[in-house]
Amino acid sequence: MNRLDRKLGLLSALPLTAVLALSFVAPMLVVAIFSVMPQKVFSFANMPDFSSYRVFLEQGYYKSLMWSVGMAFAATLILLVLCWPLAYGMAKVFGRFTLVLTIAVVASLFVSENIRLFGWVLTLMKGGLIEGHLRAFTGISFDTPLYGVPIIVFGLVYVYLPFMLFPLAQGIAMVPDDTRQAAYDLGASRWQVLWQIEVPLAAPGIVVGSLLSFVLACGALAESKILGGQAVIAIADDIETAFTFGQNWPLGSALSVILIVIIGVLALYGVGRVDLDAIMGRRR
Amino acid sequence: MDSTALLRLRGIVKKFGSFTALNGIDLEIREGEFFTIVGPSGSGKSTLIRLLVGMDDLTEGTIWLRGERIDQTPANLRPTCMVFQSLALFPHMNVGQNIEFPLKLRKVAPQRRRERVNELLDLLRLPRSYYDKRIAQCSGGERQRVALARALAFDPEILFFDEPLSALDYRLRKTLEKELKDLHARTGKTFVYITHSLEEAMVMSDRIAIMREGRFEQIAVADEIYNRPVSRFVAEFMGEVNLFEIRADAGGTLSGKALEIAPDARLDALAPGTEALLMVRPEYLRFDGPGERFEFALSGTLHGEYALGSRIQYEIETETGMVTVEKLREDRVRLKEGQPVRVGFDAADTHVIAEPA
Amino acid sequence: MPTSRSTRIVLYVYGILVIAFLYLPLVSVSFASVSKARYLSFPIRRYSTKWYGEALKSSTVSELVSTSLTIAVLVTVISVVIAFFGALAFARYDWRHRTLFQKFILLPIFFPQTVLGLALLMWFNSLGIIPSWKTAVVAHLVWIAPIATLIVAIRAYSFDPALEEAARDMGAGTLSILREITLPLLAPGLVSAGLFAFLLSWGNFPLSLFTTGADSTLPEWLYAKMVSGYSPLVPTLGVMSVVGSFLLIFTALALAWLVRANREARAAQQ
Repeated sequence: MNRLDRKLGLLSALPLTAVLALSFVAPMLVVAIFSVMPQKVFSFANMPDFSSYRVFLEQGYYKSLMWSVGMAFAATLILLVLCWPLAYGMAKVFGRFTLVLTIAVVASLFVSENIRLFGWVLTLMKGGLIEGHLRAFTGISFDTPLYGVPIIVFGLVYVYLPFMLFPLAQGIAMVPDDTRQAAYDLGASRWQVLWQIEVPLAAPGIVVGSLLSFVLACGALAESKILGGQAVIAIADDIETAFTFGQNWPLGSALSVILIVIIGVLALYGVGRVDLDAIMGRRR
Repeated sequence: MDSTALLRLRGIVKKFGSFTALNGIDLEIREGEFFTIVGPSGSGKSTLIRLLVGMDDLTEGTIWLRGERIDQTPANLRPTCMVFQSLALFPHMNVGQNIEFPLKLRKVAPQRRRERVNELLDLLRLPRSYYDKRIAQCSGGERQRVALARALAFDPEILFFDEPLSALDYRLRKTLEKELKDLHARTGKTFVYITHSLEEAMVMSDRIAIMREGRFEQIAVADEIYNRPVSRFVAEFMGEVNLFEIRADAGGTLSGKALEIAPDARLDALAPGTEALLMVRPEYLRFDGPGERFEFALSGTLHGEYALGSRIQYEIETETGMVTVEKLREDRVRLKEGQPVRVGFDAADTHVIAEPA
Repeated sequence: MPTSRSTRIVLYVYGILVIAFLYLPLVSVSFASVSKARYLSFPIRRYSTKWYGEALKSSTVSELVSTSLTIAVLVTVISVVIAFFGALAFARYDWRHRTLFQKFILLPIFFPQTVLGLALLMWFNSLGIIPSWKTAVVAHLVWIAPIATLIVAIRAYSFDPALEEAARDMGAGTLSILREITLPLLAPGLVSAGLFAFLLSWGNFPLSLFTTGADSTLPEWLYAKMVSGYSPLVPTLGVMSVVGSFLLIFTALALAWLVRANREARAAQQ
């Protein structure tokens, strides 16, 4: 580490740090301050109290939080199982097809999440792409799976698939082929190789992928609104309502703070355990 | 102090946190010499060269170039240039653009730049048509030459080399070592080369410095280092060697573990009443035979015989440990493993290292 | 142990199914966009491109598109500049707080965007700034600039720091190193970062929702119509937006391929 590198490093970090300080850290502070203001005020010029946090406990907002966390957890587990074989294929088996898959998956990310979820509504609704055609050709009909908890989890899995897939593929790519072959050579079974070689060595990718999916799903809003038809209320939904219809900024802020703390602790813990330089391939 | 020194270092210290990488380096390098710094990895040689070109800051000490202090001068203002281990050829430029990069920085006219590039391509024996070749399409040897041409285009006072040949295969390395020595002679530049390979250093250098744990152990011409190392470290670093403990009592009588010493054997370098290490290179050891007489002799059993191309190496197990003997292939001695053998040498074949065991 | 043939086939089929899964909803949207009926129901009985015509004529639509486009272009330009320097601080230079900086810039990416949008709304309010498309640019930057930085950082990781050192050694100052060595070497990363920035901004909804004030972006309008008061223009505009994005991606891919093919052809001539 020499003087020049230190100086240039600090200088080049400045623009991004300044943007984030002004439009990320500062707003978070505002949220934190508002969260301890009395109900339904719109300025800081009030005596702080913790009424919003009381409301969170008393009026059942914790239920939304539990639903959000629970559904995010379910979605993360499903994603892990669903993405592993594909990530394995991308890292070790597919040649050119990896590129095709990558482009296809990344391109889907650029389509507004609303449009994609709306597409599922059109696909799954009564008289939608699937039920409509089925009824027209066979006369068989079925109830729409829309508007329930499972379909929200389905939506979360659908939307956050890329966030699990890519880190996982990166993690699996970090497992040297030699170690796997050596393990087989030493008599390990397929399962033993998976649990004792691949999973531990791909751990950084697993951690990043799970964390990213879980955290993003915790704060998700559109899935429950568009697909779930308000079958359950997500915490992000409560936050939005508190700000808009409720005109209760302190309550919205307190709910945000609770969500931020959960996400922040998890994110810091996870990110702190991962060597970013190693995952991204630093040379020295 | 050598008044003709081109580069002079005084008391160089470099610390990384609590780790001391360089611990008091003094050195003078003369104009036009090929100077090589050899050491095992972690000895501080790369750290030293990075300080010399200005890529890292030193903790203490001073560096003079032609009597001018340069240790606080940033790398881009020092009239020195380095050939990197990775060569650091710019992948987005072709061969010609790489070579003329330092000239472009000095705003040399395009016409003149092109002439200079052609001269350098000629000097390095690369075809002039390589001007437009992409770096990615050059072979390992060609890249070496391009990196050298680029460094020469800079026209530095001193050209530094950070193990540029270490990634190449053996045969190409051998060819390039000779080319480099030849280039040194033709350009008359001062070359400072670092390597972990003693063989490489021996082929090319005027003088060699052996580095160990952030200090110089010995600085001398190649022959002297090979034949008269100052320490066990240098002796062992310079290749296979046999070291025996030796003592001279107050009357000058010699004794050593497992050594049969002839009464008339004398070691002038060993003062009476002292202990030292007696160094004998494996090629100086002789097997006992009819009419053979040794000043120093050892007995043991043959442990193994190994063919090393043009030479044969024998390992003999003795009371003081394994002793190595080397013979040319045509002088091969037929011996069976486990067979008792006697070997010996004379005082003239030895070197005394004043370092007690 | 090489993967067996049957495993490979299963994996390929699985990969194709996942792609189908990702794009199935867009198929439904595309069909819906060419249905003539005002109230949609499958199977579609009469096809028509009437809604496309309406969309092109509508002044609301052109206003939405121009707002979205302005935001996206500004976000792209600013993000790429920030990301160039940010990536060097992230991946290249050894400086004291590098690991802290790395973790810090990841935080916004992990953040629920709805919450971020609301927090920004309160922040702008306490500063006395009235939200408009300009504040949405700031909101997008919080999320997109770090992502762009990561993309450029991946590129920055893969180049040898000795290249910059060599240039410095031969007399180049910091600015000429940035211009002659660093910038050309990071260029492919900057192009992808720009592409990402543009497309992510173009499609973003949760950040825009609270920060555009009286202005509205295309995804916002679509959302509003989806949750209340369906309009047959929703699938039409959705398809148009998606097709626009994909055209951009394919153009970029095709250009990248052309550049490489051209380079290889030149190399083959020698």
